[in-house]
Amino acid sequence: MLVVRMNKRFLFLLIGIFMIGSVFALGVTPARTTVDFEPGLVREVEFEVVNSGDQDISLRLSVRGDLAEYIELSETDVSLSSTEGSRKFKYIVSLPNELVPGLNTGEIVISEVSNGDVSAGSHVKAMVAVITQLHVYVPYPGKYIETGMYIYGSDVEAGIRFVIPVVSAGEENIDSVRADVDIYNKAGDKVDSFSTDSFSVASGAKKELVYDWTSDVAIGEYVARAAVVYDESVSNLEEVFLVGLKELELLEIQVDSFSLGQIAKLEMLVENKWSEDITGAYIEANIKNAAGVVVSTFESAVHDVEGLSTRIFTSFWETEGVDVGNYDAEVSVHYAGKTSSKDLTFEVSENELVIIGLGYVISSEVPAGSDSLVVVLIVIIVLLVLGNLVWFLFLRNKIKSK
Amino acid sequence: MVNIGRIDMIVIGFTLLALIVLVGYAQPLVIAPLDEYESVNGEVLFEFERADVLLIDDNEDFTTPDEYRVVDGLIVVLEPGIYYWKVVGVLKSEVRKFTIQSKVELKLVETEDGFGVVNAGNVRLNVDVYDGDDLIEKRKIEVGESVKGGDKYVGGQDE
Repeated sequence: MLVVRMNKRFLFLLIGIFMIGSVFALGVTPARTTVDFEPGLVREVEFEVVNSGDQDISLRLSVRGDLAEYIELSETDVSLSSTEGSRKFKYIVSLPNELVPGLNTGEIVISEVSNGDVSAGSHVKAMVAVITQLHVYVPYPGKYIETGMYIYGSDVEAGIRFVIPVVSAGEENIDSVRADVDIYNKAGDKVDSFSTDSFSVASGAKKELVYDWTSDVAIGEYVARAAVVYDESVSNLEEVFLVGLKELELLEIQVDSFSLGQIAKLEMLVENKWSEDITGAYIEANIKNAAGVVVSTFESAVHDVEGLSTRIFTSFWETEGVDVGNYDAEVSVHYAGKTSSKDLTFEVSENELVIIGLGYVISSEVPAGSDSLVVVLIVIIVLLVLGNLVWFLFLRNKIKSK
Repeated sequence: MVNIGRIDMIVIGFTLLALIVLVGYAQPLVIAPLDEYESVNGEVLFEFERADVLLIDDNEDFTTPDEYRVVDGLIVVLEPGIYYWKVVGVLKSEVRKFTIQSKVELKLVETEDGFGVVNAGNVRLNVDVYDGDDLIEKRKIEVGESVKGGDKYVGGQDE
């Protein structure tokens, strides 16, 4: 009896060791299939189950959700070996003549099944199931839109882009849709208005209303209230957005009276580009050796920076043990849960610390390929035009007159 | 006697031929990905010639495209969805379509007090955590995040 118990313990120990060494992963693609509703539609939908682990698995496929009664699986119990990797399956969705307008969903659940084989560890580990979804969109009666508002950029002089996607989710086409947008400042005063172009949207189609808003409004937080006018109806949207950047930028670092081996005083000038105060900001610097390992770290005290102003943060760097040479340094300004970092180079000599990297603008190189192609094309076209002019205006008449 | 009409035809024909060759030469050549390309891998390698700007958008009208200024062999990382792309050089290329298929994948990992799962797919998941037959937690997990505390996990794409 004792021998048997010991064997069981040994068996479970073996199972545990086996489990640690093995990998179990179950997947399915696509995660979702979307279908536009048509009365009586019958469609075959394919999906792929992926066994990316190193175990053979037994699976059960089942259906749930609003559309469960309209879905028929080709198989329900399958085995998938690790060497096979993945296998494609199908289900047939047979839609009724009517469904509730809007989104109707169904889910095909692919569950791992315990196969009762203790040696495979299936009694010990957790079970996993993955879902591939079926979404069926049923048009609303009449005219209906689904819309939203997305605002890109913060530079109002260059243009802040307003994008309003419009999905015609009704049974009828939308003849004309446009957006009238009012911009309000934080005090609730209207500072500007604009209207987008208008266009038609066929039932089931999606288009985007786009407007690049330029203005001379002050930096700060604004609210955009849009009335999306489609035929005789209106859908209202509201979004908060920023003009200008709510950020602190490190402008320069001043180092006076540097002497290697002593404590260096670094005065770092930081600009608040936002119109309001940013509180609780501090600077952290990490100095790295040639291998990229951080060899020295120092931080400034915590300060508040007034809106649209600059402030000097002071840090002290203990340079005892630091050798002459170049060091990569990451200098980060931490504020309001954000971090703004700059990669600099510290050139350390006996009596001087030169900081390289601030004040430079690194621009991406524009390839010259198409420019040279344009030149070649223009030259050839000019030659063709000249050839035609010479022939039709001079040579032709000259030959003809002979 | 020189046949002027014949020379006219030769000049006009040569000019037209040269223009056709020029347009063909200036037209960007798009190589990859192929039209209607599908993959679950969000890293897409673009190959083309005679263009230096790549435009990718999720609508065919290219009203809000992402613009990439490139030289060669650009790899763009994209989330699951249907995309349209074209390149622009002296002229614009044809528009091609590709799809990054969404994938749900749960990877089982051993924790100090049992097992958990990692979102190893490419979409945010809603994961139902069960203890036996009891649903004990519903969690949204981003790609790469994990959830633990149960003995059964059921994951599907979040809205």
